[in-house]
Amino acid sequence: MISHDIIVIGGGLSGLRAAIELHDKGVDVAIISKVPPIRSHSGAAQGGINASLGKDDGWESHAFDTIKGSDYLADQDTVEILTKEAPDRVLEMEHWGTNFSRKEDGTIAQRPFGGAGFPRTCYAGDRTGHNLLHSLHEQVTKRNITVYKEWLVTRLVIDDNRCIGAIAINLFDSKLEIFKAKATVLATGGYGRIYKRSTNAMINKGHGISLAYRAGIPLQDMEFVQFHPTTLLGTNILITEGARGEGGYLYNKDHERFMKRYAESSMELAPRDIVARSIQQEIDEGRGFPEGYVELDITHLGKKLIEERLPGIRQISIDFAGIDPVEKPIPVQPGQHYSMGGVSSDKDGCTPANGLYAVGECACISVHGANRLGGNSLLDTVVFGRRAGVHAANYISTFEDPNDEILEDALESENKNISELMGDSGESYAYIKDSLRKNMQENVGVFRERERLEKAVDKIKELEVQARSLKVRTLSKQFNLELINAIELKGMLDLAHTIALGALVREESRGAHYRTDHLERDDANWMKHTLAYFTPEGPRLEYKDVTITTFQPQRRQY
Amino acid sequence: MITLKVKRQEEENVWYQEYEVEDRPGMTVLEALFYAQEKLDTSLTFRYACRGAVCGSCSMLINRIPRLACKMQISEMRKEPTNEGNLEVLITNKKTEIDNNVILIEPLPNLRVIRDLVVDMVPFYSLVEDIKPWLEMKENVPEKENLMDRDTQVKIEQYTNCILCALCHGSCPVAAKDKQYYGPAALAKAWRFYLDPRENEESKQERLAIVDSESGVWGCDTVYKCVAVCPKKVAPTLAINELRDRIEDKKEKGAK
Repeated sequence: MISHDIIVIGGGLSGLRAAIELHDKGVDVAIISKVPPIRSHSGAAQGGINASLGKDDGWESHAFDTIKGSDYLADQDTVEILTKEAPDRVLEMEHWGTNFSRKEDGTIAQRPFGGAGFPRTCYAGDRTGHNLLHSLHEQVTKRNITVYKEWLVTRLVIDDNRCIGAIAINLFDSKLEIFKAKATVLATGGYGRIYKRSTNAMINKGHGISLAYRAGIPLQDMEFVQFHPTTLLGTNILITEGARGEGGYLYNKDHERFMKRYAESSMELAPRDIVARSIQQEIDEGRGFPEGYVELDITHLGKKLIEERLPGIRQISIDFAGIDPVEKPIPVQPGQHYSMGGVSSDKDGCTPANGLYAVGECACISVHGANRLGGNSLLDTVVFGRRAGVHAANYISTFEDPNDEILEDALESENKNISELMGDSGESYAYIKDSLRKNMQENVGVFRERERLEKAVDKIKELEVQARSLKVRTLSKQFNLELINAIELKGMLDLAHTIALGALVREESRGAHYRTDHLERDDANWMKHTLAYFTPEGPRLEYKDVTITTFQPQRRQY
Repeated sequence: MITLKVKRQEEENVWYQEYEVEDRPGMTVLEALFYAQEKLDTSLTFRYACRGAVCGSCSMLINRIPRLACKMQISEMRKEPTNEGNLEVLITNKKTEIDNNVILIEPLPNLRVIRDLVVDMVPFYSLVEDIKPWLEMKENVPEKENLMDRDTQVKIEQYTNCILCALCHGSCPVAAKDKQYYGPAALAKAWRFYLDPRENEESKQERLAIVDSESGVWGCDTVYKCVAVCPKKVAPTLAINELRDRIEDKKEKGAK
């Protein structure tokens, strides 16, 4: 049994930020991560992090843009916290060594981003996530915080509505171990890989979210899935919104800047849900290129600017599509990018279970509502990562030691689960995974309607049955990829089920959730958050109110 | 079809195994490995994460050159020889006249193999940590951001682009012989902090003293292999040369 005051599950930005706060408050904290922290998907974030640093900008206008962008589903009290604390968190990252790009006067450079009324997205070239991740990891290294690298948590242990630790498997020897803790912070990121086309890293399977779900914690607003408008044709690697922020244009096959028909004043810098739908509509109506893409043109920005501010996407386009954006437009199509939904948690990352926190993309706090603005997710990680740390440090002082017996029972039951997974015959992981990803892409995508959503739910149920006979053939103890994939697969199905069912039931169009059979936003019936609870028969849905403080819902136009 | 010839290892057993992979346009070596793992042999193992050449997980030896598997196109690999039997770690490859249908894939050198293509990265991470890779700010922390001119920011950027993939470590002939040698990544990181005007002078000098040794900048053979294999154009050898100059300047000043 390994014991710490607090464990943080996940080593991306939100997990590292939480761990730093806990350490600095004198807490014995350890991070458990299935990959070394610097391999986390936070490092792939490109465009930037929002903060109202400008003289003419303020948190109120950042909050308004965020809430309007969310199609009024965001909780306005948490958005206030996000936007008020933004400048401090960004300056803190600068003080910790993040190499932000600079203006002529030496201050942090900021670029325009979609849905924002002010250029408030701070950036480090187009490798902002990489720079932030390495800076935070350096601070974690400085503090000598223990990191259990390449361990996968397989279960959260809950005793009387209190999280007392977790069971995790060590990838080096496939042995399960108990992690006893007075509090646990989930910071495990998103689930992009349940979609066929996703910008997400291959490790993003939403496993942490499914752990909370299986432990009885509700998942909130799962039907709100962000599709990024511009992902590279073929691999669907992200091409930052910064490319449009710096002045890039979108063209269809007739060389028409088609955004004028969808968002007359914001054009390419409308929020992501709108641009993604516009591109998809162009493609669906035959105005895209035959392989299913449109063109993102930055050639007019010139080599100097591209090399200075967009070097990463230039390299990606060369390496993965054989196209140099200095000379030719980039072929792009929408792809799954981000989860607005996640483990239901509040302004301090607290979930309904005592001692269990959720922050970052795995959480739904909810600051992004029905559609997240670019530059707000990196901000979300450091703001709420820190806040969860502050809260958890106080919380643990009031609790006695967890019950060892319950932890030991959980270990035994996990050992049994793993040994039951081993065997020669049965369904293969790859078949179920590929079917699931295809199903989600085709039936729960940018445009949704009843018939396809029903088909999606039926397919998921069918795959769930097949997954019951999933077997792992590989007996190797060290880095048993097949075993790890099999463990994560059931969670992927769980999440897909909550997304598809939530989307089926929500008969309106709001933000990223767009029903072609219910085109309007319906505030009278649907101005509410979805909560999905695990039951053996599938998700049970409940709803709760949205917190509205200052900004009354208006029609959303750009 | 393309054949992956993969060096496999489980405990003391070492063997080469061939996988026939159905390739398609745009397929990368990493995708081909996934094809093999999912469809042909579930016991095959390797590391991966982002598949977009930004996370640094999938470092391995491909046709005897240290490279990221996710960044290499199968179509390009067809145009090169496998260099099988060559015991050197190479940095560039020739072009073949006719398509080559075999790709040779082996674990990253200079680190112990755990299984198949997964190597023990702990010694590499420890060497980087030894140079104290974090910013120690000056005492007077400004209320707002530190001001920095653009030229300095760009100079630092060349080194903050490092993704710690360890390809440089795998290519380095000194790291091959000397397990104490900090290696190209750690030394490039040391230069990154030396360049940073936000760092206090004492920490800069302390780090300079750490790398002023045979395990540090004086161990480098200046063969520039690390520069050639870096997927992020970081240029560790240039950093090592700069650090050597700074150390010598300091000693000259001290002698006067």
